[in-house]
Amino acid sequence: MAEASIAYHGVGKRYGKLWAMRSVACEFRKGEVVMLIGPNASGKTTLIKCLLGLVRPTEGHITVNGKAIGPDPHYRRDIGYMPQISQFPAALTIGQLLEMMADIRMLGKDELEDSLVEELGLRAQLDQRLSTLSGGTKQKVSAVLALRTRPSILVMDEPTAGLDPLSAKRVMQRASGVRDAGGTVLITSHLMEEVEAFADRVAYLEDGSLKFLLPVQEILASTGAKRLSEALPIMLEARLTNDAVQ
Amino acid sequence: MLKVFKYTLIDLARNRFVLGYALLLLLVAQGLFALEDDPTKALLSLVQVVMALVPLIALVFTVVYMYDTLEFTQLLAVQPIRRSSILGGQLLALALALLLAQLIGLGLPLALHSPSLAAAVLSLSGSALVLVFAVLGALIALKQREKARGVGVALAVWFLFVLVYDAVLMWGMFTLSDYPIEPFVVPLAGLNPIDLARIMVMLQVDLSAMMGYSGAIYKNFFGSAAGTGVAALILLLWVTIPVLFAFRVFQRKDL
Amino acid sequence: MRELKGSILLLACLNVAHVDARTWRYRSGEGASLQTVINGTASGDTVVVEGTVSEGSIRVDRPLVLLGGAHAVIDGGGEDDALLITADHVTVKGFTIRGSRRSNLDDMSGIKVNACRGTVIANNILDKCFFAIYLSGARDALIEGNTVLGEPGAEEHMANGIHLWKCSNATIRNNRVEYHRDGIYFEFVTDSRITGNTTMHNLRYGLHFMFSHRDAYEDNHFEDNGAGVAVMFSHHIAMRRNRFLANRGASAYGLLLKEINDGEIKDNTFQDNTTGIMVDGCNRIKVHDNVFRLNGWALRLFANAIDCDFRGNTFAGNTFDVSTNGSLIPNTMSGNYWDRYSGYDLDRDGYGDVPHRPLGFFTLLVEMQPYAMVFSRSLFVSLLDRAERLIPSLSPESMKDDRPLMRPPAHLSTVSVHSAEACDGDTTRDPCAPVDACSPGLAACPHLIHLRVPHG
Repeated sequence: MAEASIAYHGVGKRYGKLWAMRSVACEFRKGEVVMLIGPNASGKTTLIKCLLGLVRPTEGHITVNGKAIGPDPHYRRDIGYMPQISQFPAALTIGQLLEMMADIRMLGKDELEDSLVEELGLRAQLDQRLSTLSGGTKQKVSAVLALRTRPSILVMDEPTAGLDPLSAKRVMQRASGVRDAGGTVLITSHLMEEVEAFADRVAYLEDGSLKFLLPVQEILASTGAKRLSEALPIMLEARLTNDAVQ
Repeated sequence: MLKVFKYTLIDLARNRFVLGYALLLLLVAQGLFALEDDPTKALLSLVQVVMALVPLIALVFTVVYMYDTLEFTQLLAVQPIRRSSILGGQLLALALALLLAQLIGLGLPLALHSPSLAAAVLSLSGSALVLVFAVLGALIALKQREKARGVGVALAVWFLFVLVYDAVLMWGMFTLSDYPIEPFVVPLAGLNPIDLARIMVMLQVDLSAMMGYSGAIYKNFFGSAAGTGVAALILLLWVTIPVLFAFRVFQRKDL
Repeated sequence: MRELKGSILLLACLNVAHVDARTWRYRSGEGASLQTVINGTASGDTVVVEGTVSEGSIRVDRPLVLLGGAHAVIDGGGEDDALLITADHVTVKGFTIRGSRRSNLDDMSGIKVNACRGTVIANNILDKCFFAIYLSGARDALIEGNTVLGEPGAEEHMANGIHLWKCSNATIRNNRVEYHRDGIYFEFVTDSRITGNTTMHNLRYGLHFMFSHRDAYEDNHFEDNGAGVAVMFSHHIAMRRNRFLANRGASAYGLLLKEINDGEIKDNTFQDNTTGIMVDGCNRIKVHDNVFRLNGWALRLFANAIDCDFRGNTFAGNTFDVSTNGSLIPNTMSGNYWDRYSGYDLDRDGYGDVPHRPLGFFTLLVEMQPYAMVFSRSLFVSLLDRAERLIPSLSPESMKDDRPLMRPPAHLSTVSVHSAEACDGDTTRDPCAPVDACSPGLAACPHLIHLRVPHG
């Protein structure tokens, strides 16, 4: 089994009196794609934000490559993040934004992987202001920003939402590429076909806790279903009866 | 920090609101100087505009801008840079953009139509107010999660400083007029940055009245070199304390 | 011995003299004393003096013309009055006079005139005298073109520049008085004129009237005096075209009127004073066509001012236009220009259609609680003032201008006020130059107070 790059040690987050996430303990390994699924407000976003340093856990801690993360921002050099972003700085152009983000990471042109700009058809739009872009184009920009730094950890939030099928495919191919290069990829999604096609393991969250983290094959095998969309309800039902028995 | 500053400034330089602010001030100032035959009177009218409008716009604009860029701020916070660099760069850019807008909208017409010490003091005080209220706006935006609430709080803060504070102080002054309140009047008035800025300008434009019996205590205090120093220090504190507080909040904030 | 010398000189002069008025030349250090020469003159003679005379007090007891020649100085040497005139029709011109004794008991002076007619004192420099020019019981005197410079000090060591007591029909013209207690002082002086003088930096008043009637002062310049100009206990005083500038301080006024009846104040400019005009206990004063600019309080009316008439005045840029300590104001205000007026003129007759209430709410508040001054020009105060104008609750009903002018009166369109300080270098040391020498070169004057005056 490949070694873990990310480990959650009893991580929880409380907003006010409400726990958004509780006692999450798990590992994500090098060379795998993990898809996070679960209903809205199940704690997926909180789980990701804790890793990215956007949210400080109330309990527990996270290690990245064996080191606990804290205020030191350096560990984030290895992370690529593709959020669902609706508002970039309105008056900047796509080109300026790319330049800015490279500048902030102090990366030169040769250190960047910008072929995705062409692949997604953004080259002609580099001088367009961000405020004028459609949701799909913003999503493409977001993907480029996450992938061009050759991250060893890639975090994507609903990456294909709003993208045309071709672009969606290309973005997901790139994500697979990160895995193939030995990286760890975390993706939140609610498209079961997508999860089935790309995930090595599936993490299921509900009510702020990690219900299971299993390989796709194992889920299918244990339920006897052919497709993930059929397997999941069966699993959840079984867990419910289990809980009731206990 | 300089990179965040640089690109935020580029963004703000094309911001419609910032340009609108410069234009609005320019329009008001030019209008007043054109309508009033007497530049001194135009200056007096400008004093009132500056004391009310500048804090309002600095507050509301900063609050709105901070909310509008929240998503992007998140993206920045995921980059391998310190949070203090992000907020520092953003605040610097906001302050500079508003100051530049004000320099064009207010400083330029003042220099053109009424190049006097009073105009210089007005311009300087206005700049101090921009800084103070931009910083307060940032703090409000960081403390309130919702944009609508944030704008509401900003309006309330503006209302407090521009009107309520004076009303309460004045009411207290008349209620307690039987007691020796003089020692408290100067410091209490000086605590409100808008009042302080206004007093500094007033010492120039209402000099004749300030030489009278009632003005003497203000004149003697704020008119002296030491008083000017104290006033500058108070305004500086009004900037630095909220800034430090904002950094503290932002450092721990869940984005 | 001294008398002997004098008589010898007298004899010598008699040889060359004409039968009528003779001219005597006296150069200090040569021969007898000036006093001896004077004692030898006949009525109507002229004595031309050169050099510095320092033989103590000089007394002129017969009608005589004393002319200052080159470097003519009369130095009293601290001994009583430097020059004492006790005869009618004496003229003193072109001297520098100094060294009077400083005494509050005997009013010692540079030039003292006692009970004389037709005295002329012109183009002299009075240098650090106690009283400079002192007239008592004089009639038809002319005091013209003198430069009177005292020195800054404590009030008890200072006396008045030009001081008149119980005089009538005097003319005080084009003098300059600085650094005295009062610049020009009138007590029991009637039917006299004060024109074209400049008084500045005097410790107390630039001009001070007490119990003086039917006088006029016109075209004078009063600047930076301790308390401005005071007119007290007098009637029928005309005050026209004067400039009252920069009289600032807790009890400083451009013009203080106390117990004045039937005066006229017309075409004056009041600028940068803490209080422009303070009216205390006055009846039937006409205040017409004056300009009040940039004063703290343009006009302070005590409630004991009755039947005063304010018309055609311009109020601009003052912190407060009008204030009062009472509620019943039996005075009239009409046709003034108020820069605070916000009404309209639908019938286009040049007058606003709604009355203007010059007494702001804030003015009254400051009157009650002086420290409220700190709120001047705040949003709160301007809201209060606006509310008070719409729904008057505190200001007296009669305190209003029913016909406020929409624009400043046209004839004022070229008024430009400048500080007399600018001309210091040109005029103070040259007694012959007209005092307002600055006026022709107004534009070139570097110390012009920056003002753009409205065009009518």
